[in-house]
Amino acid sequence: MLSFLTNCSVDQSFIDLTGQNLFDCREKRGQILGSQIEPMRPRKRKGEICSSDLGHRKQDEPWVDRYTPCSKVDLAVHKKKVEEVENWLKVHTDGSQGGLLLLTGPSGCGKTATIQVLSLELGLRIQEWTNPPKLDSYTNSQQVSFDIFMSVKSKFHLTSQSAQFQEFLLRANKYNCLKMVGDARSFFPMSIQVFDKYTVFSCLGCAHSCCAVSSRCFVKTSRFPLVFIVSNSPSADSSSRFLFPRELMEELHISNISFNPVAPTTMMKVLTRILTNEDGKSNGRVIVPDQTVLEMVCSGSSGDIRSAINNLQFASQKEALRGNHPLKSKVMAVSRSTLRKKSKPKNGQEGQPPVGMKDTCLFLFRALGKILHCKKAECAFALQLPSHLSQHHRESLQVDPEWVIEHSYVSGEFFNLYLHQNYLDFFSEMEDVEKASEYMSDADLLTSDWMSSNTMREYASSVATRGLLHSNSQQIAVGFRPLHKPNWLLVSKKHRENCLAAQFLFRHFCMTPVSLQTELLPYLAKFTNPFKNQAEITFIQDVGHLPLKRFSLRYSSYSIPFIACLRCTR
Amino acid sequence: MSLWVDKYRPTSLGKLDYHQEQASQLKNLVQCGDFPHLLVYGPSGAGKKTRIMCLLRELYGAGVEKLRIEHQTIVAPSKKKIEINTIASNYHLEVNPSDAGYQDRVVIQELIKTMAQSQQIQASTQREFKVVLLTEVDRLTKDAQHALRRTMEKYMATCRLVLCSTSTSKVIGPIRSRCLAVRVPLPSTEEVCNVLTSVCKKEGLLLPPELAKRISDKSGRNLRKALLMCEACRVQQYPFSADQDVTEPDWEVFLRETANYIVSQQTPQRLLEVRGRLYELLTHCIPADIIMKGLVRELLNNCDGHLKPEVAHMAAYYEHRLQLGNKAIYHLEAFTAKFMAVYKKFMEDGLDGMMF
Repeated sequence: MLSFLTNCSVDQSFIDLTGQNLFDCREKRGQILGSQIEPMRPRKRKGEICSSDLGHRKQDEPWVDRYTPCSKVDLAVHKKKVEEVENWLKVHTDGSQGGLLLLTGPSGCGKTATIQVLSLELGLRIQEWTNPPKLDSYTNSQQVSFDIFMSVKSKFHLTSQSAQFQEFLLRANKYNCLKMVGDARSFFPMSIQVFDKYTVFSCLGCAHSCCAVSSRCFVKTSRFPLVFIVSNSPSADSSSRFLFPRELMEELHISNISFNPVAPTTMMKVLTRILTNEDGKSNGRVIVPDQTVLEMVCSGSSGDIRSAINNLQFASQKEALRGNHPLKSKVMAVSRSTLRKKSKPKNGQEGQPPVGMKDTCLFLFRALGKILHCKKAECAFALQLPSHLSQHHRESLQVDPEWVIEHSYVSGEFFNLYLHQNYLDFFSEMEDVEKASEYMSDADLLTSDWMSSNTMREYASSVATRGLLHSNSQQIAVGFRPLHKPNWLLVSKKHRENCLAAQFLFRHFCMTPVSLQTELLPYLAKFTNPFKNQAEITFIQDVGHLPLKRFSLRYSSYSIPFIACLRCTR
Repeated sequence: MSLWVDKYRPTSLGKLDYHQEQASQLKNLVQCGDFPHLLVYGPSGAGKKTRIMCLLRELYGAGVEKLRIEHQTIVAPSKKKIEINTIASNYHLEVNPSDAGYQDRVVIQELIKTMAQSQQIQASTQREFKVVLLTEVDRLTKDAQHALRRTMEKYMATCRLVLCSTSTSKVIGPIRSRCLAVRVPLPSTEEVCNVLTSVCKKEGLLLPPELAKRISDKSGRNLRKALLMCEACRVQQYPFSADQDVTEPDWEVFLRETANYIVSQQTPQRLLEVRGRLYELLTHCIPADIIMKGLVRELLNNCDGHLKPEVAHMAAYYEHRLQLGNKAIYHLEAFTAKFMAVYKKFMEDGLDGMMF
């Protein structure tokens, strides 16, 4: 079983994608993949139709495949970006020294397409590594599942996969070396590693170590450039940092070029081009959607050109099947049904989403602002409370707090920390702050038990947000307030590190941690008797002393008026 | 140059400065060469550790003073590696299992097992058991305490346990009943003064009795703290004067200032400043519960008698949450906010009362 897996995947990885037979190969590979019931499609292909032998293609072929860009002009990537990548490639294919390039960016922004087009134009040969297909059967459910069972399973595959990857690198190297002897310069090979699915495993920690090891040995031996392509999602943009921590980047001199999402105007251009092309070819089978639909597809894809093209095709094809429904209403119907599937209604959000649009993510600070500024609706149908409860009366909310948290792409706990860091700026009354802080404390208490914290997490963030919204009774228009990162994470980390360091450095005193930290260390700072150890001296200087009689500005976010004048008010 | 605390630590039961009656009882206890498991408890700085070490020396002779600090790695059944520092001599092993956090159960089981399974080399001339000294037993998780209870019975033949804790309230009943409980109370003010004077005499210094008295008051009769204070005073100024400032740790002064800030103004902005100061304390290695305690003490000094019961109640409420919760700052801040609100209301009411 395992050997079979290795064979087929390595073979598949070793298909040469030279300029001439690029498309044939892709077709071949498509068949291979198809025969293995491989759900993952080849990566993005977009732009103009580029060779005439595509005329006989079937009509239901995805447009994404049909309109692969084959020249720099067709790329939906900014010219400067393309130039940057091209320059890198030129520099690193010139000499005998190979290099490492890391391309990052959200999915569907044209990373792979750029590389492919450029290599075509520069006459480079690509050797592409894709993850073994068997792996996908566990992970293609789109949702990355982190539960233990999953990770155990994927770990299994990971080991074989890393071995395969190393073998791939080795063979790519050797193979190319052999070829190099007799061949001309135009046959500079290049390895591309596509990490689309690989990022799933980065959380396991061993993925990046294996990656590090293999790239290290690659750098030592290789004379060819190696390109890593990592797509990072807006929620977890740290995946590339997981795989390539900064030390590794510096050690191996990896250059990093990050791509932005495709700009709406560029995307619009591409979509219109595809549509006119299709319209001219299909003899009325495809109904051209009007401008508004195009715009909706464009905005709904949030810079992912692959999904935009897919959506466009979906919209037109559906129409072609159904016949004479007006397209717009169809789009609306679909979108409404997708809406209904989501449990949360989007109240107060911008319009209806187009077909199959991506989940829009709320920028974290916008989400925070929605809670902290606590926009209340002007005068909705208000539920009248009895008079003895009238102080609890609040206007109805403009936003649904749970919806905000869900769309902020951070965990509820983290969101609470952000709220906690910033909420004081938005309060004017001490009584309100008292209630709000109690709600925050409640929220922390809810998640304290590790057994139930998984289920309670959502409730905790709900308690915190709603508590904050409710307790802010004196709504003041604060205008713009800068929001800050939570200090707690840094503080608690430092607390832990300092405690460990203290226990390590002063272990010869044989004291319990509490008395060491509260009794011995502060007094050691007062003594002049010299320690032999420089580390001990600096630690004592650092931890033993507190800045007395003045405010530390390190943690408070703004400068504070002089204290003395405040104190005399009482 | 070592600290006075270490330099003048009594090393035998006969040389102890106070609680002499207890010392002679302990001497009698080990006279016959064997003793039951011990649970030594008492406030910090009362001399628990000193007494335990004296006891061990009585048992094994000077050999127990040859200490080595070891860094041990224990592999938990879940394959997780736990690293812990131990202090050992040929006859005993001292470990603070709560260093390992929630994995303390594994530490207890593994360490005691290895200890108990290695026999003494010369059983004829030595005792046939070794001693495991566990510190901070009250901070052990319930899991670990139950594991300890089993271990105590199982390895009774080859090892004795000496447990050291500040209070017995967090030690489960079965353990308490398996041990001989020895309470080491704080020394009285006179005893602290005597110790301070005698230490100073050994150093060749002259300590005014007034200063000794003030140091002992300031230290709360915690002898370790008193000696450290005394040494700090020596660094600060010599010859001593009777009215010289007794050096306090920076964090206590800082905490007092923080309490003053809280009392002087009650606004959200002030709370933000206080939060910054709490963070500062935390980064300087002061545990959150100690901050809470210190803050309450200072605030109680600052507020009116009518408020005191309420403040104490609030403090208990949030201290409890602090123990249960994950992130200390939420609860510390909630307590501060609550105090501010209550205090503000009280002051405003008082102001109204004065006007009419």
